[in-house]
Amino acid sequence: MPVAWSQLLGLLGWGTLVGVDLVSFPQALLSRPLIAGAGAGLLLGEPEAGFKIGLVLELFALDVLPVGAARYPDYGPGVVGAVVLASGAELSFVLGIATLYALVLATLGGWSLQWLRRVNGRTLETAAAGLAAGDAATIRSVQYRGVATDVVRSALLTALAVGLALWLRPRLPLTGRMELVSAVAVGTAVAAAAGGAIRSAGREARLRWLAAGAGLGLLMAALR
Amino acid sequence: MRRGFVRASLRLLAVQGAWNYERMTGVGIGYASEPLLEDLQVEDPARHAEAAVRSAEYFNSHPYLAGLAVGALARAEYDQVPGGQIARLRTALTSPLGSLGDQFFWAGLVPAVVGGMIVGLMAGYGWWAIGLGLLLYNAVRIATGIWALRTGLETGAQVGHAVAESWLPRSVPHIGVAAGFLVGMALPLAVVGLLDGQPSWAVLLAAGTMLVALAVGWRFSPRVTSVRFGLAVLGLTVLLAWSWP
Repeated sequence: MPVAWSQLLGLLGWGTLVGVDLVSFPQALLSRPLIAGAGAGLLLGEPEAGFKIGLVLELFALDVLPVGAARYPDYGPGVVGAVVLASGAELSFVLGIATLYALVLATLGGWSLQWLRRVNGRTLETAAAGLAAGDAATIRSVQYRGVATDVVRSALLTALAVGLALWLRPRLPLTGRMELVSAVAVGTAVAAAAGGAIRSAGREARLRWLAAGAGLGLLMAALR
Repeated sequence: MRRGFVRASLRLLAVQGAWNYERMTGVGIGYASEPLLEDLQVEDPARHAEAAVRSAEYFNSHPYLAGLAVGALARAEYDQVPGGQIARLRTALTSPLGSLGDQFFWAGLVPAVVGGMIVGLMAGYGWWAIGLGLLLYNAVRIATGIWALRTGLETGAQVGHAVAESWLPRSVPHIGVAAGFLVGMALPLAVVGLLDGQPSWAVLLAAGTMLVALAVGWRFSPRVTSVRFGLAVLGLTVLLAWSWP
């Protein structure tokens, strides 16, 4: 399935937005894999692929709390690339490979965040005199440069994710055997979310409610 | 000071825009404080210069609660609180605002909303679930941001007491319970949704992988994260599936 230029531009814009949303602006939940995947699926006219790939990666993301200076993956641009990789293919064959692809890029995205923080630190050094004088223009300049650098980081990461996905897509060996990878991806993702949920729940009321929710979910799943 | 409220609120949306290891969100706090300190520039230029320097110094907290610090520190500057005391207030706010925000938002509201979205998605409400989740999350986030800045401005150096007496610490256990329930509900539905129509061997393989991953996570966490485990296991499985004769 060919991807039009307008779709490519849309994907680049969307991936950049979800990348910037993670830390810099506006932190409106757009960077969550479920949202990033759904948006990419919508742009490609394949919402089902967007939802499912976003869902698998969201289960991984539920394991990680983006706390303070902690190192965490940047899922958004990678998920956008993974939806491109999966577009036009049988989802049960490609789900696992797309998950692996997104995880690799999310890790790369996490490293790029460390780079961004160091670049911002170097900007501080060059603006040291202005900051020491309390110059408002210097503070604004450091702030805008930080956001602008994150826009560039996210755009480059998205361009890599989408470009590589377009190159890889016709070369994927999508045979029935790849369903193995998809099953393993689902198992690993569910374990990540369950592990994170159990850890967050501790031993008090939240754990009981987690069990109650799981019970209700099982009942609903059985009745589907 | 009131004139700058809207601009400071908007600037707080990008409070982590220049995040770095030296000052963390300090520059973002200085950037958000600037509109609030404009009147001080007219009233007391010398004090304004000192306040502007202090505003961008080291600070870290949860980004959505940074307004509490921005408001309280600006108010303290207008109240002519000594600089040393303002620096101590800044330090004292770092951990509580970080911890409270992490518990309420990252460990509470985010998983609750995402869990709700997954349940809605699996129940067939697709875009409605996503849209409603985003709307709800951002409504809470924006309202909290406005409340935080207003509370900081009203209470100044007493902001710690005001936060302790507010709705925020009391709501942490409730949002935690909601998060636990909704994520618990979402997990079985997600499994069924993702493995719908798959052969029984695929279901068994997914279940087996899940058990192994849980055991590995239990034994080797935090060294082996779920992402590292996923990368290793999926990479191996792709290689096997690819190269098996």
